[in-house]
Amino acid sequence: MTNWLKALFRPPRDQEIHDEIQSHLDMRTEWNRSAGLPSGRAQLDARRRFGNPTLIAEETSAIHRASWSTAARQDVRYGLRAFRRAPVFTLTAIVTVALGIGASTAVFSVVDRILFRALPYPDSDRLVSVGMLAPYADNNEFLMVPSYRRLQDQQTPFLSMAAFGFSSPCDLTESNPVRLSCALVDAAFLPTFGIRPMAGRNFTAAEDVPNAPAVALLTYGFWMRRFAGDSGIVGRAILIDDKSVTVVGILPRDFELFNLSQVDLLMPVALLPDQSTRVVRAFARLKPGVSIAQAQSALQPLFAEETPHIPKEYLPGMSLVVRPLRDRQIANVRTASWTLLVAVGTVLLMACANVANLLLARSASRRRELAVRHALGAGRARLIRQTLTESLLLAVAGATAGCGLAWGLLRFFVAIAPNGITRLDQASLDVRVLLFTAAVSILAGLAFGMAPALERPDAEALSGGRSIAGFRGALRHGLVSLQIAASLLLLSGASLLVRALWRMEHVPLGIQPDHALSARFVLSKSYRQARVLAFYEGLEARLNRLPGAIAAISDTIPPGGSMSTPFSAIAVEGRPWLPEGVGGGVSWRYITPGYFGALGIPILRGRTFNEEDRSANASAIIINQTLAQRLFPGQDPLGRHILRSAKGEWHTVVGVCGDIRNRGLSRPPEPEYYVARKHVPDEIFGDGSRVLGGIVTVRSPFDAQAVAAALRADFTELDPTLPVEIETIQARFQKLTDGPRFDAMLLAGFAATGLVLAAIGIYSVIAFLVMQRTREVGIRMALGATPASVVGLFLRHAAPWTAAGLCMGILGSIFASRLLSSLLFEAQGRDWPSFVIAAATLCAVALCAACLPARRAAQIDPVKTLRQD
Amino acid sequence: MVQHGRQADSLQGTLELLVLKTLHLGPNHGFGITLHIQNASEGLLRVEEGSLYPALHRLERSGLVTAEWKTTSNARRARVYTLTDAGRQRLEDAEKKWTSLAAGVGKVLQFV
Repeated sequence: MTNWLKALFRPPRDQEIHDEIQSHLDMRTEWNRSAGLPSGRAQLDARRRFGNPTLIAEETSAIHRASWSTAARQDVRYGLRAFRRAPVFTLTAIVTVALGIGASTAVFSVVDRILFRALPYPDSDRLVSVGMLAPYADNNEFLMVPSYRRLQDQQTPFLSMAAFGFSSPCDLTESNPVRLSCALVDAAFLPTFGIRPMAGRNFTAAEDVPNAPAVALLTYGFWMRRFAGDSGIVGRAILIDDKSVTVVGILPRDFELFNLSQVDLLMPVALLPDQSTRVVRAFARLKPGVSIAQAQSALQPLFAEETPHIPKEYLPGMSLVVRPLRDRQIANVRTASWTLLVAVGTVLLMACANVANLLLARSASRRRELAVRHALGAGRARLIRQTLTESLLLAVAGATAGCGLAWGLLRFFVAIAPNGITRLDQASLDVRVLLFTAAVSILAGLAFGMAPALERPDAEALSGGRSIAGFRGALRHGLVSLQIAASLLLLSGASLLVRALWRMEHVPLGIQPDHALSARFVLSKSYRQARVLAFYEGLEARLNRLPGAIAAISDTIPPGGSMSTPFSAIAVEGRPWLPEGVGGGVSWRYITPGYFGALGIPILRGRTFNEEDRSANASAIIINQTLAQRLFPGQDPLGRHILRSAKGEWHTVVGVCGDIRNRGLSRPPEPEYYVARKHVPDEIFGDGSRVLGGIVTVRSPFDAQAVAAALRADFTELDPTLPVEIETIQARFQKLTDGPRFDAMLLAGFAATGLVLAAIGIYSVIAFLVMQRTREVGIRMALGATPASVVGLFLRHAAPWTAAGLCMGILGSIFASRLLSSLLFEAQGRDWPSFVIAAATLCAVALCAACLPARRAAQIDPVKTLRQD
Repeated sequence: MVQHGRQADSLQGTLELLVLKTLHLGPNHGFGITLHIQNASEGLLRVEEGSLYPALHRLERSGLVTAEWKTTSNARRARVYTLTDAGRQRLEDAEKKWTSLAAGVGKVLQFV
């Protein structure tokens, strides 16, 4: 240390004592000299009379040091000096703590928002989603309108029930028009969620009926964007889809829909009591003291009464669901979130084990030092305090680095996360978690750092003796075994996910995604039927003029999004109806003839649609391979007649096309059929509602940018205000793997962290062993042991503990993979290759980590070590 | 540094008494106190000079004396100690205690 540093660290009190003693010595010397002693003897005599100045200075400053802070400062100084002497140990410990704290805090901050934070509704844990779950529908429960009405009237477990009639695009058709998102809700919706408009009022039940004067509530964001926060808008009328709508209120700033989707306007859903073809999402607020299970059993009889009203073909497999709103919101990320939490907990545990191990190793090597200090008069309390200070220093340094790491990691997660990870944009570093993880690491540090000081220093330690005490040796090795097990768990989990991801990216899609574009649009509700038809005809004419392209219009394209109907609703001519409930759902689409060519779906038998199939009375249908095999096993499906539903007309099978991965890559292909789009406004719901949404698919050998520009120009000619969303088919399918890729990357990151920690653990234990046994190795080598046999000695020592860890790890992995299976693509529990890859990686790392210090042992010079003591 | 045993304690008490008594005569620095004790006891009490300092600092910490750096008559810097009121009070008590103790011990020793 340079002098100024020394001065900085020396407390002023010590300096003063030093000066005072010096002044005494000077005065005595002068006194002696004036008494006639020669200068040298005068000085000597002064020292003799005074005693030992250093001891006395120490004793004197000890009096003042009863004050705690001076002592602490001294301990800190001592600790820092000790760390400078062992930089590798210090750095390793700090990095370990930082990794543990950083990784766990960052991940928890992400997951916490998803799993644990309260939703922005009062008493949000009392809110539930209620409905029926059907195998052919999506994963969310729904109610048909008559059922909702009856449940609302007769239910007992809820304070209130509310309906959500979905969001759809709508247009503000004033000057400077914009496309908006309108959500339809009933009058009970806001009161049930406990949301009060910040201005104006909610709409009344009287306004929530068909043909009532139209009213709407504005969301805060839309109100600010469009009306610059002018509260005079309340009570005024705006034009939505060419209809005059009165603004009755403005929603508070923190309003969000239960599904977190973007919304601009809330409008009355205006349900008819007997609207049996319409479904809603239903929500309810539990009465105080009523549990979800109680609510479920109270509703069960009502559900049973509903079944006669539900069309028979929809009934099989249908069940009543009452679940917390949060469950509904996070259903798809729950497993991933928990997996991450477990992974990060494992990393934190490993970090703690490492810190413990490092400190135990260090403490063993310091036994001698502590014994010496004790022999020189340091009290045990003093030694314990000293050790505590050192552990704290390490923990604080690690925690500081960990905070930085956590911040960086969180930014990184947000940057690489795919869109649509629930609430990720709201994630911020969680101080509670930061404190918690820091506290855990510090406690681990303290607990294990104390070990040497608590042990009674004995004379044996003074002799610099050997011996890693039996119990502590076992503890340290046990910790390493645990680390290896934990690391293996992380590694096999990560390799499971990565292999699943790889399989997923190489699964045949059933289409050819390259050189294909899609353009999605939803026509304004202000379009009348004639205009809808004119738009589609115009669009088709323009698409046919695109050079070198195959183009098609359909209502949806894969992945997902298709209409679905129960399999048992389909009937084959000359065959009785299938028993109800057989076979889940069938997807179907309205397409123009170019569809198969544009997406590259092969026609396996028969033909694709032609213009004749599009005439008003034609009834051709194309089925996919899976459906063909199920409807006509071992027979020729061509020319056979089928019914799409009991009420429909007969269709003739004209072709069989290839299967596609419609419901995501991880699901097997499902049965599908295609119906030709006719030159009349399609009547999908049977109630004459216009199909406003459509999607254009274009396969073209030309540059995607150029094709997209041409497409845009066509759309602009037809309707300059229509928003069109153009993307490549490749990108659409890419999105399917975004989520799994994110999961796999995070878990792989943790596995890497875990691997590093395990390596540090093994390295530190073997390095410590080598240090302890330097003398023994020296003797062995003096007696003729070869370097190879010395390396072998240490590796043999590491082997059983590593093996024990591996065994535990594999057992753990088997359990974990069962839990992971819902995250995995075509995962079948035990993926042995994954385990083997993980175990091999770990073995290699363990071998390297053990080899480094063992090789150092082999380079020991026997002469030097034997002379050492 | 912490433990010195009972012996040290009783000795300390005596040394503190001597220091307080010396400072009762007027403010003085450590070396001056040493000289006074040696002279006044006519050489009978010869303490190790250094051991005075822990005693002085203990008194300072208990508020019985105050200390200040001053320049002595022969232009030397020294830390000069002054008796406080509390110190005077303590001296009075300690003197009484010592006198009675000495008297008691003397009586026992003179008992034939």
